[in-house]
Amino acid sequence: MKVNTAFDIYQTTVNAPPAQVAEAKARRDLFKDAFGTEGDIKLVRASGSLARGTQHDPIKDVDTILIYKPETKPEWGQPGDSAEDALDYVRDRVRGLLGTYGSYKPNQVRLARPGDHAVKCFLDDPDAESPFTVDAMPALRQPDGSLLVPEIHSHGWIRTNPGYLIDLALDAHAQGRIYAPLVRVLKRWRRRTGTHVKSLLIEVLALECLPKTGERSAALAAFFAAAAVRVNDPICDPAGLCGPIQPDLDVVALRTALEEAADIAANARQHERWDQHDVAVRLWGDIFGPDFPKPPNGGGSGGGPEGGPGGVPIDIPKRPVRDINQG
Amino acid sequence: MTRRSLVIVPAEAADKIRASAGAWGTLGMVRAPSDDLFVITAYQAGKSGAVLPVRTASGQERHRRVEEGAYEASWHRADAVTHWAHYSLSARPDHCMPLEQFRRLIPTAPHPHNDAVLVLTHAPGVTDNPDLDRLPEFAAWRVTREGAEPFDLAVEPRAYGLGQLVGHWPVEALSARAVLVVGVGSIGGEVASSLAGYGVGQLDLLDPDRLLWHNTVRHVLGEGDIGRFKTDALRDMLTTRWPSLDARSHVKDVVRDADHVRLLLQEVDAVVCAADGIAPRRVVSHLARRAGRDAILTSVLEDGAFGEVLRLRRAPDEGCLLCRRADLYGTGRMDPERALERGYGDGDPHRPMTAVGPDLHLMGDLAAKVTVASLLQRQGHNEQRLPGEQAIVALRPQPGFEAPFDLGRAGQVQWHPATPPRPDCITCSTP
Repeated sequence: MKVNTAFDIYQTTVNAPPAQVAEAKARRDLFKDAFGTEGDIKLVRASGSLARGTQHDPIKDVDTILIYKPETKPEWGQPGDSAEDALDYVRDRVRGLLGTYGSYKPNQVRLARPGDHAVKCFLDDPDAESPFTVDAMPALRQPDGSLLVPEIHSHGWIRTNPGYLIDLALDAHAQGRIYAPLVRVLKRWRRRTGTHVKSLLIEVLALECLPKTGERSAALAAFFAAAAVRVNDPICDPAGLCGPIQPDLDVVALRTALEEAADIAANARQHERWDQHDVAVRLWGDIFGPDFPKPPNGGGSGGGPEGGPGGVPIDIPKRPVRDINQG
Repeated sequence: MTRRSLVIVPAEAADKIRASAGAWGTLGMVRAPSDDLFVITAYQAGKSGAVLPVRTASGQERHRRVEEGAYEASWHRADAVTHWAHYSLSARPDHCMPLEQFRRLIPTAPHPHNDAVLVLTHAPGVTDNPDLDRLPEFAAWRVTREGAEPFDLAVEPRAYGLGQLVGHWPVEALSARAVLVVGVGSIGGEVASSLAGYGVGQLDLLDPDRLLWHNTVRHVLGEGDIGRFKTDALRDMLTTRWPSLDARSHVKDVVRDADHVRLLLQEVDAVVCAADGIAPRRVVSHLARRAGRDAILTSVLEDGAFGEVLRLRRAPDEGCLLCRRADLYGTGRMDPERALERGYGDGDPHRPMTAVGPDLHLMGDLAAKVTVASLLQRQGHNEQRLPGEQAIVALRPQPGFEAPFDLGRAGQVQWHPATPPRPDCITCSTP
């Protein structure tokens, strides 16, 4: 099995099913259309991983930003209760537009609950195992292009710029069409690090450390090596507004996982160069886990008949150094 | 293998031959008898064209001083068959092509009569045909009455140097990187030379000292630079050797001019400290950590018995120089320098030592390797990851030392991990 084929297959495992993506977009668009009819709304903008193309299976929520006309909300943006007022206002409008008796489309949202920055809107049964939500965040556009959004826990408003990250992600993906799918792969990989790593942290790490063009296997090998150094320093909001993404990150644990992955990836790349694709695929499987495709013969000998069936662990073949000295 | 003569074709002469509409012409040459070398200095198309001087090939300027144009050769357009014959004959010493056969292939070639003539042939077709890639585009022949035999020829390439390594070594990635080298003595001079050879694009060289006689036994600079500031002389040497290098001289002391170094660190990607004594290393360790730059410290210990390369990174579990040393001091495995008891920047930190130059250069090269590996790993070069953060090298190992200086065999290298920051460390605490 060729390495590229294995990655193609694995990508379908990592990606959310097309029907799920379509459903998520439809629900996001429902909010976009509903709030688009509001007189005090300037723009409804998609945000989050779905907008960046880096969403992975399963999609649990989508993010929308409700950018209000500042003249209609003069009291917003001030420290104090206005943050809570803004979220309450959005909650009421969600109910008014999409709730049981919603004027735009009734019976769409079962529960709307203000959180720290956004109103979490349950379109499924809130008591379901993992109910799908749409996060609706009120915002005021600032002269520098950033957004002012409420923050309940600090009793105020903070500046953020999710559009900046979206633009970076879209640009990165446009370069070689490998960025977005590989970010999904890395988001899945983060669960194997043995420590909690935020999805957004992996994404920002990928923006900095993942090559945007070339072969996927080469890009991933480069990512693991570069990220293993990069994590020593804080990983911050690329827009420079929100500070460190995960201040409590266990840097040593993540670095150790990255180093281990880098070791295996280097070995996988070498076997790929030697045209021992089955061995390489098996090694990539050691990094990404049991969901990664297994070579038909277990990947012990680069396609020979002596490999173990079904991925039974067998020795990775080594190759003698050629006695061709160069001075 | 006997010594054989060689004719050097400067790039400009090769270009003129390639571009000529004619089928032949003449070439003026100088000869360097001591090297048994001919160097083409002039070009002429046909018999009546203007004689045009050509730019001397790089590295051959010395030959302009000997008699100009005293020797003559001719050049001729040829086909691939002629160069195939050249290729075949080159592998068969003492064989030659009969004169009549050669003149059938090259009708414009002169008759040697009772002399020997040098003939260059140019076969443009071989560069267009991948099947003929073993054949030279240019070939030289020594033609006598007996026949034509291959003569060694070298064409100056238009581009050479680090550019040759593109595809084999990340030349472009390193050309965009800058490194500060603090202390360009015997080790630091080699660090800088090595970094330039790796292809680092910018080197900032910082050292307050001049090169004096006693330095020359170990330094990469020689007697011709005695009296000059080391950083100036090294800058000139390196930029002569590597024309694309941006080397900058800073006649500064890292301790007294720490404010200057602090600004410099914002402009570079990494810093190497190869300065004598502990004070410069402490300053570099502190400033680099605060600037978020990797610092690579290298030195020899115990009069050259051991070499050490330390990499200091701003990682939460890796301490600065003092934290790393505190672990060794605290466990009695290392004694702090007495100079530590003096005031900040006070006293003479120089400790004359008896290490031999190549041992110091070995440490300089290793420090450069560690630096380049650090730069490249940040850019995703998986194969450049290091086995640890401290390398101890046995140069002239002496028995009886505590670990990690308990190496027993010359050439032995041991890598060790970093030790964590001390809780009260000013350097390692978040600024």
